[in-house]
Amino acid sequence: MYTIGKLAQKTDLTTDTLRYYEKEGLLAPARKTDAGYRLYDEDAARRLRFIKQAQQCGFSLGEIGELLTLKNSDAACCKDVRSVAIEKKLQLEHKIRALQRMSQALTELISICTEETRPLDECPILAALENSMAKQANGEGNG
Amino acid sequence: MVKVEVFSSPGCGKCARATAVLKAVAEELGQEKIAWREVNILQEMDYAVDLGVMSSPAIAIDGKLVFASLPSAGKLRAELSRRL
Repeated sequence: MYTIGKLAQKTDLTTDTLRYYEKEGLLAPARKTDAGYRLYDEDAARRLRFIKQAQQCGFSLGEIGELLTLKNSDAACCKDVRSVAIEKKLQLEHKIRALQRMSQALTELISICTEETRPLDECPILAALENSMAKQANGEGNG
Repeated sequence: MVKVEVFSSPGCGKCARATAVLKAVAEELGQEKIAWREVNILQEMDYAVDLGVMSSPAIAIDGKLVFASLPSAGKLRAELSRRL
């Protein structure tokens, strides 16, 4: 059995994180001591490794909760988990596209500023941002 | 010719059953009028993202995402009839 401090050390997490996971329903102590201290078993450590790995694949804590529920559900099977993974991959691909568009927009803004010594009120990047905001406010540039 | 593309992943039994029902609806309206294509989302992920597919299964008609999740047979019939 591990105390919260030992478990945090074992999993490279902080005790605050473990308490947060407990609040979010992702982790529960196996039992508490008479004095009320939480005690965790090896299953909790495995669960935390699962959470960390899933986070590295882009899953939010809410989604990880769903995955853990699926993992412990008799009615679920591998296909259900696969569907969740495919959906996550779709979301990530959309995010990558959005980031690429942002990066491209920045490339364009950077390219219009060729003279770094200009005063701020002549900064073409700021002017372009202001113009695009004005266009949006006027309902232009949406198509 | 109306082009219907159903985005799903192989191995999804629920999708396969629902898709079969919808395909029958399209066939009822006339196989010569509707081009039905089942898209493996894993093989054509870029195309799915291009069309804005955020979850599977989903249906695009004539190159535009129309149903972000599988519609009822009635809804698909209405949409296709409108376009024919």
